Amino acid sequence: MVRKNRGYITLFLLPTVLLFILVYAVSLVMLFGTSFTEWSAGRSPVFIGLTNYIKLFTDDADFRQSALNTGIWVVLQSTIHVAIGTLFAIILSMKEFYWKFARTVYMFPNIISGAAVGMLFLCMLNPDFGAVNSIARLFGNADYSQNWFMDYATAFFSVTMTWLPYAAVVTILILAEIAAIPESLYESARIDGASTLKINLYIVIPMLRNIIGTCVILSGTSMLQKMDIILMTTGGGPGNETMNLPIYIYKTALMDNNFGYSNSVGVFLIGFGLIFVLLCRNLFRIGSSQN
Amino acid sequence: MNRPRYKTGITLASALLLAMSISACGAENSANKGGAATEGSGNAAAPAAKAPVKISYLTFRVGTHASAKMEEEQIKQFNAKYGNEVEVVVEEIPSDAAYVDKIKILAASGDVPDVVMGKDGINDVLIKGNLATPFNEYLDKDAEWKAAIGEDALASNTRDGKVWAISDQKQNIGYFYNKDMFDQTGIKPAETWDEFMSNNEKLKAAGFVPLALMTGENAWTSNLILAARIGTNGENGKTFMNTLHPTDFNTPEMIQALNMMKELLEKYTTKDALGAGYANAANAFSQGKAAMIANGPWMIGDFSDPTKSSEGFDKKVGVAAYPNNSLISTYEVGYMIGAKTPETRDAAEKFIKFKTGLEGQTLALEYGNVMPVSSEVQPSDALKQKYPIMVESITVAQKTQLHYRTLDSIVYPNVTDAWKNLYPKLVAGKATAEDIAKELTEIAAKNK
Repeated sequence: MVRKNRGYITLFLLPTVLLFILVYAVSLVMLFGTSFTEWSAGRSPVFIGLTNYIKLFTDDADFRQSALNTGIWVVLQSTIHVAIGTLFAIILSMKEFYWKFARTVYMFPNIISGAAVGMLFLCMLNPDFGAVNSIARLFGNADYSQNWFMDYATAFFSVTMTWLPYAAVVTILILAEIAAIPESLYESARIDGASTLKINLYIVIPMLRNIIGTCVILSGTSMLQKMDIILMTTGGGPGNETMNLPIYIYKTALMDNNFGYSNSVGVFLIGFGLIFVLLCRNLFRIGSSQN
Repeated sequence: MNRPRYKTGITLASALLLAMSISACGAENSANKGGAATEGSGNAAAPAAKAPVKISYLTFRVGTHASAKMEEEQIKQFNAKYGNEVEVVVEEIPSDAAYVDKIKILAASGDVPDVVMGKDGINDVLIKGNLATPFNEYLDKDAEWKAAIGEDALASNTRDGKVWAISDQKQNIGYFYNKDMFDQTGIKPAETWDEFMSNNEKLKAAGFVPLALMTGENAWTSNLILAARIGTNGENGKTFMNTLHPTDFNTPEMIQALNMMKELLEKYTTKDALGAGYANAANAFSQGKAAMIANGPWMIGDFSDPTKSSEGFDKKVGVAAYPNNSLISTYEVGYMIGAKTPETRDAAEKFIKFKTGLEGQTLALEYGNVMPVSSEVQPSDALKQKYPIMVESITVAQKTQLHYRTLDSIVYPNVTDAWKNLYPKLVAGKATAEDIAKELTEIAAKNK
């Protein structure tokens, strides 16, 4: 059957493969190749071997801070963010009277663009007229003012809170998977006297292994591209407190005009992402049977 | 029996669709290329010779940008005058930063628009990449245009004898102050930096926020004061502020100025100044929440704009020079030719000549409150009546004796970008002024 359809399979795969080659593969090869060069806008790349990588790993504090922040955000997003989404999905799956309303409202932050979310939080947390400080003033010191995004003590936390709790995509995916669990399993458990908590702990969550693994990959890798909100709110500051790898790439390429070096950071970021995806695939045994 | 036919039909239809879409893309491309070729080589054929030459032009002066009206009027009047010879294909970019990013990315692939604004380091990228055409030949052929721009403006864009850009405006920047607040406090614009700090203290004691500062974006309103403090600090400070691409920031003048900025940000500005954008600072002044803002004359229109200021606010605003009778005075980089073919280069030059000639400068002044580079261009009576502070601004500029440039116009773009992260570091006490000066030197060294 496969042999018979080989022509069709090839034909239908061809556009995707061609597009991948033209859009991604060529770019990746160029990215990798130019990461070994000294290259700035308007000039031809000059091969310099491993110089960029040596500098990256031995003499670049901004890169180390950016990589560390990116790593922390990947871990937070693939654990706490997914846990919040999963918990919310399990609550919604009980289909109490509020579930459709709650699901819709929870989706709001995900349908607003990153730049708009950034502006929203910038206003909400403004030290002068922001809602958060105004509320704090109502209940405490009338002169209270906290610069959430620019104070070293709160900047990282404040930026993280602009995305960490909003796990509607995780919730939707998991909710769909929960709906696919056969009703007979619940019935059997109930007949055996299992409580709702036990059903969720020992039946539902294990059955969600594949989709949770997928959500971990999606959520974790989203942190490898996170840029708009950070640029809108802190710009990577104060100092380099909230700098991540995408912003560092942006700065080295477009501000330092150092495309070669920037591409070596890009190669590191892709490698980081690939390792993360492979780890998650193995950890969650994604694709293998639930049994 | 029917299944294979059905499959074959679907396959053929899909293949046809794919082929059509690919050929359509190709056709579009070839049409574009053909179009370009026709424009370039078509001068040989009689009908094509009459077709206007298309030039590409990207602009960030759109939407709510202070110079949007000016841009619109200049393009409209250029089209009315030269539309049958040159067709300007305008692409709107939503912000200055997005414009700079886009041009740099285009420059990396060697494909810049025909007319480019050389701001924020774009001029360096284009010159180093051999992507721009100097104006020398064009200027030599047109003495009138050369005179309209003036020696000083041309010199500011000249490197190794080549004029790479044509400036369209002179920036004379002092600061605006709220006359009511000054009167209530019993102070006048400071003549020395000691008096400036004393004014801040008096304003604060009277219950006013002295300064509308901001450290986000390019820290514009803060850095104007920083520049003034450096530029007025002896001969070394003046030289530093008039040097293109300084590489050593570790100077006593810079350190003193940074220490002053730390004090201003800690004591004499709005609560949101750290991390605030230009809009926050402008609002703070226009809404009467702060007594002073450092900015140029293009802000004058905002004071009588009911969407930005309260009614009658323009009557409360005065303009002053910085201490030591000094003023920031710099020429905008202006426009560069990025076009590659002789036809598009000539067309780009025609467009730039219009924008930067006496006619274009007049439009810029009348529609954008932009100071012209030529002394021949003067504000109309209507403009003087509408914006009396514009006249005051010109008078103040004429009286000043010490001039220096903005930091943005002299430092590398990566230094301009660094302020937003460095000011909070300085104010938080995570780094001293000396540390920041050292860091600025290191950042400048990273520029390629």
